[in-house]
Amino acid sequence: MTKYTKSTFSSMSHRDSLEARFGVRVASMLSERAQSTAPDISERLRFAREQALVRAQAARRQVQTASAPVVVGRGRSAVLANPLGWWFKLGSAAPLALLVLGLAGIAHVHDKAQIAAVAEVDAALLSDDLPPAAYTDPGFAEYLKTNRE
Amino acid sequence: MATDKELSDFLKSVEKRAFKRTAFAVRDDDSALDIVQDSMIRLAEKYVDRPAAELPLLFQRILSNATMDWFRRQKVRNAVVHNFSDFGGGGDDDGEFDILEMLDGIEGNVGTESASDSVSRDQILQLIEQQVGELPARQREAFLLRYWEELDVAETASVMGCSEGSVKTHCSRAVHALAKALKAKGLAP
Repeated sequence: MTKYTKSTFSSMSHRDSLEARFGVRVASMLSERAQSTAPDISERLRFAREQALVRAQAARRQVQTASAPVVVGRGRSAVLANPLGWWFKLGSAAPLALLVLGLAGIAHVHDKAQIAAVAEVDAALLSDDLPPAAYTDPGFAEYLKTNRE
Repeated sequence: MATDKELSDFLKSVEKRAFKRTAFAVRDDDSALDIVQDSMIRLAEKYVDRPAAELPLLFQRILSNATMDWFRRQKVRNAVVHNFSDFGGGGDDDGEFDILEMLDGIEGNVGTESASDSVSRDQILQLIEQQVGELPARQREAFLLRYWEELDVAETASVMGCSEGSVKTHCSRAVHALAKALKAKGLAP
């Protein structure tokens, strides 16, 4: 097992410091070199940056529109909470209710008229001297036809 | 939430370093530009609600992930294994190498600019960039994140997905490899 003495730590720290100085120095030279990037590359980097900013703005708008329905929902709730809103709702529903009632009334009157017509025919058949079975006889039907002519 | 101006300023400050760092890794300018653009857009779309102070670390993570995704897409596994392998060649000879001497040498050559020789300075800068580009990928990543992006050890470890000890080791090896390579190229006292 390595035994670290005070001087070992001191020399390690000194070495770290030297390495850091060297690293920073090389990095500063790299930065200097990076400044002389070719114009076409600088232009493409500028374009990339602008594209990123456009996307950032779009992302922000998306976040804002995502939160917008909450506000609209609150607005509608506020309108519904107002008593005038119920009258408005009743006023909108009344024509529909009248239409349904009207259709039901027409159907009822039509049914009654049909029943009355059938009852009239039945009454006429039953009150006649001729038995109803006679109308099913082909000979009698022919007789009626020739008499009409 | 970072404003448009904060985001723009941040991207402007980091874009060239991001491009260089990615170009070192993928060794292709067009691909590096695509990766940087993709990373910028990911940052803008997904982290637009984050405060400006969080952007640097987030961006470095996104950039590292995007670079890894690029390697996966390219399916150049052999190249990746080669690039991401540890610095080989029988380990370090830290004890034998005097980094202080090297540091003085590099500062003497570049730090105090000779007005008569700016071409030489450009050549030195180019040489340094080339040597950084030739570092093994993990060492280069650790070195650039620590000293160029100025992340601390913990942040670098978080971006690289490794321990803080590994970051220190990678950085130390990178510094010594660079110093040695530069000395071999004649950039020494």
